[in-house]
Amino acid sequence: MLELKNLYFTVQDSGENGGGSRNIIDGIDFTFDDGKFYAITGPNGSGKTTLAKLIIGINPVSQGSIVFNKQDISPLTITERAKAGIAYSFQQPARFKGITFRDLLAIAAGTEDKNKLLEIMRRVGICPLSFLDKEVDVKLSGGEIKKIELAITIAANPKLAMYDEPDTGIDLWTIDPMVSLLKKELADNRTTSIVISHNKAFLEAADVILILDSGKIVYSGNLEGALPLLDDLRVCTYRDSCEGDQNAQCYR
Amino acid sequence: MLNAIDKSLLKTVADLEGLPKGAFNIRKNGKLLSRQVSANINIETNAEGTGIIVTIKPGTKNESVHIPVILSQAGLYDVVYNFFIIGEDADVTIVAGCGIHCGTSEPEGHAGMHEFQVGKRAKVTYVEKHYASGDGRGRRTLNPTTKVFLAEGASAEMALTQIGGVDEANRLNEAVLGPNSLLLITERVLTDGEQRAVSTNNIVLKGAGSRANMISRSVMKGNSKQTFYATMDAQNKCFGHIECDAIIMDNGANETMPSLKAGHPDAELTHEASIGKIASDQLTKLMSLGLTYDQAVNRIIQGFLK
Repeated sequence: MLELKNLYFTVQDSGENGGGSRNIIDGIDFTFDDGKFYAITGPNGSGKTTLAKLIIGINPVSQGSIVFNKQDISPLTITERAKAGIAYSFQQPARFKGITFRDLLAIAAGTEDKNKLLEIMRRVGICPLSFLDKEVDVKLSGGEIKKIELAITIAANPKLAMYDEPDTGIDLWTIDPMVSLLKKELADNRTTSIVISHNKAFLEAADVILILDSGKIVYSGNLEGALPLLDDLRVCTYRDSCEGDQNAQCYR
Repeated sequence: MLNAIDKSLLKTVADLEGLPKGAFNIRKNGKLLSRQVSANINIETNAEGTGIIVTIKPGTKNESVHIPVILSQAGLYDVVYNFFIIGEDADVTIVAGCGIHCGTSEPEGHAGMHEFQVGKRAKVTYVEKHYASGDGRGRRTLNPTTKVFLAEGASAEMALTQIGGVDEANRLNEAVLGPNSLLLITERVLTDGEQRAVSTNNIVLKGAGSRANMISRSVMKGNSKQTFYATMDAQNKCFGHIECDAIIMDNGANETMPSLKAGHPDAELTHEASIGKIASDQLTKLMSLGLTYDQAVNRIIQGFLK
């Protein structure tokens, strides 16, 4: 349902080397199947969030194409991709002034009907009803805003839902219900789900695990096959450049 | 008695579909149009005939007073002096507002001088909306002055809004806070085109344990300009906070000058100010929920000025 074809995202480096370009996403070819649960993991800076932002349209495609339900969506705006059925839960959700959870839920669900909004709240389950008229502003805790972000994404009834580190700031007691919720959405509505996470709970729940490293997919498959690689990635990736074996003063 | 333009202005500035229940005083083109008093709220014209005195009996609860002003007479500049005496332990809402309909090239304006004496432990909610409309090109000016005196334990919550269409506004808000009193001011101003708005706020925290919070939200569209001055003068152990946010659209301009004066070692004063365009992460979020860029901008401004 979602095909990434020879996909690149390139930025101009303003670094000490006098510039030049760098591929943050470095030639990805991958097909996401309808109604499956994917987990994307990999070291910090490997391009996970950049990839999600390419799919929703925040980052422009430098080369290659993104095909969603047989339509090339690469030239489409964020709005058009959202209307086509793609939703993205931000890693760091926006905070507003004077906009409530109810307002965002109504925009996502396309209705202001209170009963329908309450029905969505019950379906999502992880947000108490008292959240409804909370302002989505700087006063919310990190965990609260992530729950709200996830609920809004589900309220949009997307065909493809991407959740960027949904467990950040979430208490341990909510992670399992969150995993069950995403699985239930997938079972009930065939929502193809992509979760970017380092959390074992999401990796165990996924049908397919993708490991990203330096802008490339270095593994796709089941968790069992991924484990040795994940162990490897725990080793510092800066060793080559800092020669940490010789210099024990590494603070990374 | 009320024509279509009057009704539309009243609806906008006072949320009134017709004549309100309870006490009210409606002023049209510099003259009294209609007045009603209640058992606990008296309204009378002052001795000079230049305004009204609203007296609220001590202990009056959950009552409201509407005092809208509407202007649709070319060339008129209406000045009014209104005095409010709010008795001890009362809890009331006062809805003021001025709507100007300008149908000609003659200027029209209104200056409302409002003074509030809020008795001990009394609580007043004051809602004021300013709005101007009409096809005429005459300048529409609104220069309100609000003075508030809070007795011990009194509280005032003031929502001051200038919704649009006002060419020139020069607002002055002054407050003196007694012991353990509380003042909350939220000012929201939207300007467009070549409009100018200046808001000057002087808040004196005189009594021990007094608290004040001043919130200003400004949106400048077109080539409009807004200037915001706020001074918190702490003369006792107290708490004061100024929060001013301005969103610039098009070629709008803004100057914001929060000022804190601590004249007592136990004064706690803070301020935060920001001026800038709409945050891109807010726009992106709303667009990712299916709104177009323009719809997202409108939604963010609407919330910001809510």
